[in-house]
Amino acid sequence: MLVNLDPHDARPLYLQIMDEVRRALVVGTLRPEDPLPSVRELASELVVNPRTVLQAYRELEREGVVYVRRGQGTFVAPDVHSGRQERLALGREVAKRALLEARRSGLGVEELLTFIREVAAEEEGEPSPAVSAANPGDEE
Amino acid sequence: MSAYAVATHGLSKRYGGETALDRVDLRVPDGAVYVLVGANGAGKSTTLRVLMNLVRPDSGTAEVLGMDTGRRGAEVRAQVGYVPDGRNPAYPRMTCGRLLQHVAIFYPAWDAAYAGDLMRAFDLQADRRVGTLSKGEARRLHLVLALAHRPPLLLLDEPTDGLDPVVRRTALALLAEHIADTPTTVLISTHQIHEVESLADHVGVLRAGRLTAQMSRDELQRTVRRYRVEVPEGWKPPPELRVAGLRRSSTGREIQWTLVGEEREVVERLTLAGGRVREAKPLTLEDAAVAFLTEEVTG
Repeated sequence: MLVNLDPHDARPLYLQIMDEVRRALVVGTLRPEDPLPSVRELASELVVNPRTVLQAYRELEREGVVYVRRGQGTFVAPDVHSGRQERLALGREVAKRALLEARRSGLGVEELLTFIREVAAEEEGEPSPAVSAANPGDEE
Repeated sequence: MSAYAVATHGLSKRYGGETALDRVDLRVPDGAVYVLVGANGAGKSTTLRVLMNLVRPDSGTAEVLGMDTGRRGAEVRAQVGYVPDGRNPAYPRMTCGRLLQHVAIFYPAWDAAYAGDLMRAFDLQADRRVGTLSKGEARRLHLVLALAHRPPLLLLDEPTDGLDPVVRRTALALLAEHIADTPTTVLISTHQIHEVESLADHVGVLRAGRLTAQMSRDELQRTVRRYRVEVPEGWKPPPELRVAGLRRSSTGREIQWTLVGEEREVVERLTLAGGRVREAKPLTLEDAAVAFLTEEVTG
């Protein structure tokens, strides 16, 4: 599992870690019954306080995304089917950020939606080579 | 033992005419990773030296691990892993390996295997003489000496100073592992908050000897916001907001103001004062700390 934290993201670190786990579930790099890195490993890799990782894992456990096998570590819950719930949570997170940006610039919700559709349609018309090379077959 | 691994009460210290510490009430909760931020000369090193009883305060007291450090300095030092500020270890003619053996005698809990692991991780050779180490290597050796007896308290004075980016990352990753493996409280002083902020769960801001802010990471991120407000021409901020205000700038009829307080209340007050809040933006830990460091005293 690849976890990246953004130093410019002002959200609490444990939320960012939770999002990265959700993202891994949505794109399929993490699947049901897969082990998560140990708290120690992830804390070391990200250079964060181990308590922060623990807090993220506990929250994910509370949401039923992962479960703890005593003495063995943290695993993805068996019934997390293709991360549907996570897709929802992730989508809402993306929407929130877009809205925040829009409000900063004085744009309303309808305007924002219109612009998103417009730009998406343009990009579909002439796919940028970087994007299509990075995600072959990723068209939904 | 108290809920604080470190608690100071009205700590003051002057050097000649210079104020080094001015009534500092430091509170480092047990088990916390507390980052003390401040410019060079703000009093960070003096604070840590007082905690080690290497410097006597003019007034005030300090409790370290439940002990009055002024009276029980030797006992305190035996239980603390201390990385001093920018100084090379003593005994320049000793080899690093010999120094480790020498230091190990003083600590019953010394973990020789762990010391060896840390030496390897830091790329330090046991047969090198201490006096020939570069500044960064000396810093790494200090970290080995501080961590290897797995003390209940670490006092790290600018631990990343002089380390190149790769070694800095190694050092901080090792520190994260250490915290995961060993129950400990960590007090880190730094003038480079971005280097250590991801480890912090508590932050203190020291400015010209005064502790101007001290809170948990959660509280800091919840209560410090940068507001963008549309205001009428010639607008004067209300006094109760000026107290909570840190940094203010304006362009045209829009002001940008970093304020401390619950967002809802702050927005309410700004609105009552005739402003229209366009945005309330949460800050990163670094930006919030910088806001406290550069606070406008006059408001």
